Amino acid sequence: MSRLEQHSAYNYLRHTKKFPNVWCAGCGIGIVMGALIRAIDHLELDQNDVALVSGIGCTGRMPVYMDFNTMHTTHGRALAFATGLKLAQPRLKVIVIMGDGDALAIGGNHFLHAARRNMDLTAIVVNNAIYGMTGGQYSPTTPIDLRATTAPYGNVEPPIPVGELAIAAGAAFVARGTVYHAVELDRLIAQAIQKEGFSLVEAVSYCHTTLGRINKLGTAGDMMNTIKNNSVTLSAAEKMSEEDRQAKIVRGVLRDVERPGYLRLYDQVIERAIAQEASHAG
Amino acid sequence: MTENDLQPAPAAAATARSKSGPRGRVIVFGSWCKGCRLCVDFCPKHVLALDENDHPYPANPEACNACRWCETHCPDLAIVVKPVQ
Repeated sequence: MSRLEQHSAYNYLRHTKKFPNVWCAGCGIGIVMGALIRAIDHLELDQNDVALVSGIGCTGRMPVYMDFNTMHTTHGRALAFATGLKLAQPRLKVIVIMGDGDALAIGGNHFLHAARRNMDLTAIVVNNAIYGMTGGQYSPTTPIDLRATTAPYGNVEPPIPVGELAIAAGAAFVARGTVYHAVELDRLIAQAIQKEGFSLVEAVSYCHTTLGRINKLGTAGDMMNTIKNNSVTLSAAEKMSEEDRQAKIVRGVLRDVERPGYLRLYDQVIERAIAQEASHAG
Repeated sequence: MTENDLQPAPAAAATARSKSGPRGRVIVFGSWCKGCRLCVDFCPKHVLALDENDHPYPANPEACNACRWCETHCPDLAIVVKPVQ
């Protein structure tokens, strides 16, 4: 047995694809991929019953490497394609993997409405606060005052809080983890996959190649350390003042409520339609 | 990819373990490794070091307590930690 076959992720990878993966050395997206594989492995889901849908960007490459039903769709439209897939094949566990720009800028509209409908999808937003693949343009989650190739004098646009936006839009389950707390991320993703309705996991990551280099934030390890030092658990955050909390990455399950998922509501529509048609026919 | 370039150095292997408790053996799949150093920088027991190819190897294997930090955080899925008795 080769050394690689001893890895728990081995059975979930497409070995016809070129490895090592396309991401820069030390990129957090690979850590999220590992966490997703461990979550699926923990839940003992059949690979044929899982569908991964992604959009465009660094994060969009993730399903390419993973041996499930996969769709690599157009920029920002991953949730729209996933909605169609879920309605056509309700037995599938549909997991949508997006970057911050993909989910919130180009696909912001789809993001809001998938959450509002409580569509039975699991969305994972890898938030590295920049458009990495296209060369470091600022994204809707780039912090204020950080520089980007399209904001050489510093970004003046306030970032979108991803989790809070999903809560406001009506998602049933919203959690935030970081790539430093990878084992916690496994657990959050596993919880999200099991949830009825729209579940979102925001995985806070970093981009040391574009954002890090332009702002002199250091290596992947340095940026990982920043995430480690800047994040607090939800229970610790509740004891902090509002001002202190704003500067922190709050980890944990931000929202977990029972709300009927879209598929259950749609089944009711079908029942009503059948009953109405039957009464007309009678 | 040769796998034997990832074997621990004999001198380091002789380092005595400091405490009792779980032990692990770190296995690195060198051809998938991009040399990002995350495992070397963050290993709480300083088990790993970089070799001349910038790939990690267990320079201090006796110190490994099988916490699996390197395995769960390797962005290239290139590390496995096996528990040893």
